[in-house]
Amino acid sequence: MDIEFGPELEAFRREVAAFLDAAPTPEIREAGRKTTSVFAPFEAVMKWHKILHAQGWAAPAWPKQYGGTGWSAEQRFIFAEEYWKRDLPPLLPNGLQMVGPLLMEAGSEEQKAKYLPGILSGEDYWTQGYSEPGAGSDLAALSCSAVADGDDYVINGQKIWTTLAHHANRMFMLVRTSSEGKKQQGITFLLLDRTDFPGMEIRPIIGLDGIPEQCEVFFDNVRVPQSARVGAENDGWSVAKALLKHERGGSAGNPAMYRKLELIRAVASGTPSPHGGMLGDDPVFQRDLGELEAEIASYAAFEKLLLSGHPISADPSMPSINKVISSELAQKVSVMMTRVAGVDALPLQLEALTVGSNVAPLGGDLDLVAMPYYLNSRATTIYAGTNEVQRDLIARVLPVA
Amino acid sequence: MDFTYTSEQEMLRDSLGKLFAQSCSFDQRQALLKNGHAHSEIVWAQLRDMGLLALPFSEIQGGLGGSASDLVAIGELLGRHLVIEPYLSSILLGGCALALGGSATSAALEAVMAGETLAALAHEERHGIGAPALLGTTLAQDGNALRLNGEKRLVLSGAEAGILVVSARMGDHLALVRVDPKAAGVAISGYTTMDGRRAANVRLSGVAVAIADILLHDAEAALDGVLQSAQLMLSAEAVGAMHALLEASATYAATRKQFGVPIGSFQSIAHRLADMKIACAKAQALLLYTTALVETGKGSGRDIALLKAQMGRLGRSVGESAVQIHGGIGMTDELAVGHYLKRILAVEAMLGSTDYHLRRVGAG
Repeated sequence: MDIEFGPELEAFRREVAAFLDAAPTPEIREAGRKTTSVFAPFEAVMKWHKILHAQGWAAPAWPKQYGGTGWSAEQRFIFAEEYWKRDLPPLLPNGLQMVGPLLMEAGSEEQKAKYLPGILSGEDYWTQGYSEPGAGSDLAALSCSAVADGDDYVINGQKIWTTLAHHANRMFMLVRTSSEGKKQQGITFLLLDRTDFPGMEIRPIIGLDGIPEQCEVFFDNVRVPQSARVGAENDGWSVAKALLKHERGGSAGNPAMYRKLELIRAVASGTPSPHGGMLGDDPVFQRDLGELEAEIASYAAFEKLLLSGHPISADPSMPSINKVISSELAQKVSVMMTRVAGVDALPLQLEALTVGSNVAPLGGDLDLVAMPYYLNSRATTIYAGTNEVQRDLIARVLPVA
Repeated sequence: MDFTYTSEQEMLRDSLGKLFAQSCSFDQRQALLKNGHAHSEIVWAQLRDMGLLALPFSEIQGGLGGSASDLVAIGELLGRHLVIEPYLSSILLGGCALALGGSATSAALEAVMAGETLAALAHEERHGIGAPALLGTTLAQDGNALRLNGEKRLVLSGAEAGILVVSARMGDHLALVRVDPKAAGVAISGYTTMDGRRAANVRLSGVAVAIADILLHDAEAALDGVLQSAQLMLSAEAVGAMHALLEASATYAATRKQFGVPIGSFQSIAHRLADMKIACAKAQALLLYTTALVETGKGSGRDIALLKAQMGRLGRSVGESAVQIHGGIGMTDELAVGHYLKRILAVEAMLGSTDYHLRRVGAG
């Protein structure tokens, strides 16, 4: 057994650390500290995306032929560790982790040439149009329709939970092109070059955290060219599933959790306990913090086992297990942050939370972000396949003797 | 990074698994216990013949110099098969504590490795040990003699052991003392634990100790090392037990019918099984990662504390779910499921409880 990454990777770690120490602007660092979601503050994170792109590091997981780093899984893990140590805002996932890899897998050469460079450089931001009011966990029940008309499709219907659609200039979406046969069979995958087509209306939705992160998008006879289609008509379900291939192995979520744990511990040591003394010395708090650390350590070990290619990584339920562990752990971390912040988590501080507002927060950094992060994190067990759906999937491949 | 067993370890696991399947089935275990045996002498001799009783000891001591991953590799199997042989008590606790005496105890250690006698470590006190500074047993000068006074609990194999090693405070230090179970002032009350093991409470009333019987005068760090390896072994046992419970429960849910369908088709049962599998994955990963830390010299007592606590938490939830999924039959003594739960509960309580270790971790 061996836990080391190998000496050659230590030089890589130093190179990454040196760049990440020097490259982010104060605005980007502020955005990192004020990130209370998987989705970092939009404008600042897109600027950071462009800086990373200039360095060639915007897409650690992409193959080199598409402008990725070509890094090994170990190098990506080290990059993530160094990244999170510095509280930097994570790049938005929709382009780099979703539609980009999907196009590599299922797009035409023309589509790859047209769209991948903009995703890589951060020129484009893509919003995802999958869910509908009547199609959440049961995504294949979607009804937003596209009817072929000449060289075009005419789209009618509604999408929801289109993250940051109000900032997006492009959109990828699933539409219904047939109601024949099984519901999965009449779905088509489309790429929209614009988000301001005539007949398209985007309405932000204010979330529990008071922030308009999600949107709904309405389509009233929106006309898009048929060349926007990925794969064959009515084959969109398998196109969308091709993305799953890119989700296996190589997650590196634990460094971010460890970083938050460190912050919690530091703040608690200087926070008075209602029983007198400091919260960090309170036995109940210590016990619960120990439990949280044990959970984070378990997740870290789990990620490292997958990363190292241990035989458990071949279990088909591992992506679902990973999703359940990481999402529920993020929630536990957020709960502990609100516990430490106490009543200082209650002021609504949307202005202070805005990057560049120059409004000083009441209390400290943790007090500012604890409640928005907690509230936003309630979504982690809902999006990307609810944890109920994930548990259904896990239960399908149990070790029955 | 590599968290897999070596091919030698896999071969050892393979033959050990066959031995346990053949000679340590649940029915055989229950029959032994029913007839008043602490364990099977035949199996114990087979473990000796495979070299396992000498595994953790250094080659200078006549052992095999086994690594942390060697122990974990067999520990998982001990847990998976609910093996009652006194490996933890006589080898990892009593034997490893005895080995701290160096050449002075080498003859006794040889007898332990040969399986001729059992050694036991008397360390737990009150409702469970915690910080060594809080030990109540003392070794102090009384006239011309050094005398031991105190009361030890849950001394595993304590009534069967030919050799006792006792931890005691000696002034500012923690000492380890070898004690003859038959010495004057030693009162041993043996009992069977709820998980089918033998243990004893040991009262030490002015037991005279010769200087030569003090294995170590300043033993805190060395004892900590012994306890950590035992905690790692217990954690491995818990993971083995958890996987056995997951498999038993998934199999039962696939075959047991109520309302005309297998109960595993109900989402409430399916999700409980999914949670068991998630817990098993977390437990296995943490066990192997911590083992690799220890093996490469990077593991600390804190890492082991975190592991032990997490095995207690995850193990309990898996064990309780297994009983629930099995329903009424899960409540019976005749099914292995409840015995796995009981083993996990014992693991959780001994050598520092979950709460104790979690608070240690949380304190920084």
